[in-house]
Amino acid sequence: MDDPIMVEVKDLHFSRGNTDIFRGVDLQIPLGKITAIMGPSGTGKTTLLKLIGGQLVPDRGQVLIDGQDVHQLSRRSLFKLRRRMGMLFQSGALFSDLDVFENVAFPLRVHTELPNAMVRDIVLMKLQAVGLRGARHLMPSELSGGMARRVALARAVALDPDLVLYDEPFVGQDPISMGVLVQLIKKVNQALGLTAVMVSHDIKETLSIADYVYIIADGKVMAHGTPQTLDVNDDAHVKQFVHGEPDGPVPFHYPAPDFFDDILAPAGQFS
Amino acid sequence: MMRHIHALGRATLDIVSSIGRAGLFLIQSIVCLPSREGFHLWVRQMHFVGVMSGAIVLVSGLFIGMVLALQGFTILVGFGADEALGQMVALSLVRELAPVVAALLFAGRAGSALTAEIGLMKATEQLTSMEMIGVDPLRRIVAPRLWAGFVSLPILTVMFAVVGIWGGYLVGVDWLGVYEGSYWSNMQDSVDFVDDVLNGMIKSLVFGLVVTWIAVFQGYDLIPTSEGISRATTRTVVYASLAVLGLDFVLTALMFGDLG
Repeated sequence: MDDPIMVEVKDLHFSRGNTDIFRGVDLQIPLGKITAIMGPSGTGKTTLLKLIGGQLVPDRGQVLIDGQDVHQLSRRSLFKLRRRMGMLFQSGALFSDLDVFENVAFPLRVHTELPNAMVRDIVLMKLQAVGLRGARHLMPSELSGGMARRVALARAVALDPDLVLYDEPFVGQDPISMGVLVQLIKKVNQALGLTAVMVSHDIKETLSIADYVYIIADGKVMAHGTPQTLDVNDDAHVKQFVHGEPDGPVPFHYPAPDFFDDILAPAGQFS
Repeated sequence: MMRHIHALGRATLDIVSSIGRAGLFLIQSIVCLPSREGFHLWVRQMHFVGVMSGAIVLVSGLFIGMVLALQGFTILVGFGADEALGQMVALSLVRELAPVVAALLFAGRAGSALTAEIGLMKATEQLTSMEMIGVDPLRRIVAPRLWAGFVSLPILTVMFAVVGIWGGYLVGVDWLGVYEGSYWSNMQDSVDFVDDVLNGMIKSLVFGLVVTWIAVFQGYDLIPTSEGISRATTRTVVYASLAVLGLDFVLTALMFGDLG
């Protein structure tokens, strides 16, 4: 990768309780590209996004955004840095007491002094881009899952951020919404020249729009490369994940005692 | 044995760290510059926390005043002192019952709602998304609610006392036939503004801060699951009620302890 680097993750260690989530993760997110971070469920992909956004603090290691160490910043500087970031949450995370229009207008109202007419124009442009200009007066509770995520996308890019973090953007979507979201993310990214980090385990959709992919498993980066190189990768972990094989290095069964012994255990020894 | 010591140590650490977090939380949310936006948010919360609690406080105040007059009359009349009914009703209400009962009702009505509201915002990632937009939820969500609780409880307490005194009047004067002039004049003679009214108001200011603080902190600090929200809401009502009753004793001892 010769592109300039927007986000750099160096030797990241993070644990919850006694469980190690990351044991030395190194990533480089190039400027103006869509970088996907993939891996089986429970590998801490969302945790990684939260570490990049400064919501969690690592045990060791650094996250540099544009050269600034996110976890060394004061609360005020961190909030300032976050104005240059947008994040699309898995649940949409729209503010339930504001309607669609006000949700998208929220970042503009709190961070800019723009007159109302201009805020209105910008919000309508963003809603037009996600196809929901007509839904501007609806409340979040009246939206379907796919619509909520599109509104959340409009809100995430309302301030034209430099970096957008997508947390599982395709989870739980029907095929039509999924197709719409894939196209939207690609289009919005190209039109605004954003740097995007996308966490996902939807292989087909993600590989179709990502410029570069990291695969994480067992707390480490298992493989990385362009979608084309990963498709022909020979590593057992990568092969199992990319081709969706049910059994392999990531076992189908949660660790358990021998099945035969378990079934035939005497009544007094049930665990 | 070692296990018990270990558990005791862990529980102590949990309590101390929780108090520390709650203290930091209070300072970070309450210390901020006033702004026009903040004022609008505060007014909205005054409506939700204060105005919406008005009905329950007024109705309870009325009934408590009426019961006080009824109970007081049956005792006082035995000593031929039924003219002192106004004094008894007013002093009990202003010094004790209005601040304490209004605070308990406030904890049940507004406190539990605040915890559930903030907790649900946390569970649906609204607080996190606000942080990621670069807006501090302590300033935008917590601070207006804290200030609204702090300001509205003393006002509710005054309403409670006024309606209670009126309720006492209805029962004592209109129903039981206590002389109207003695009801009011005894009250006027015996209720001191600084000793009684002001001390009652100081109590309700303290209760307002403590109850709202407990409610918003429990909402902000809960485990974001449905079980977590239900537990935190219960904790708010329990902790806030105990805090009000405990602090009431401490404040009463400080204010009136040297009278004997």
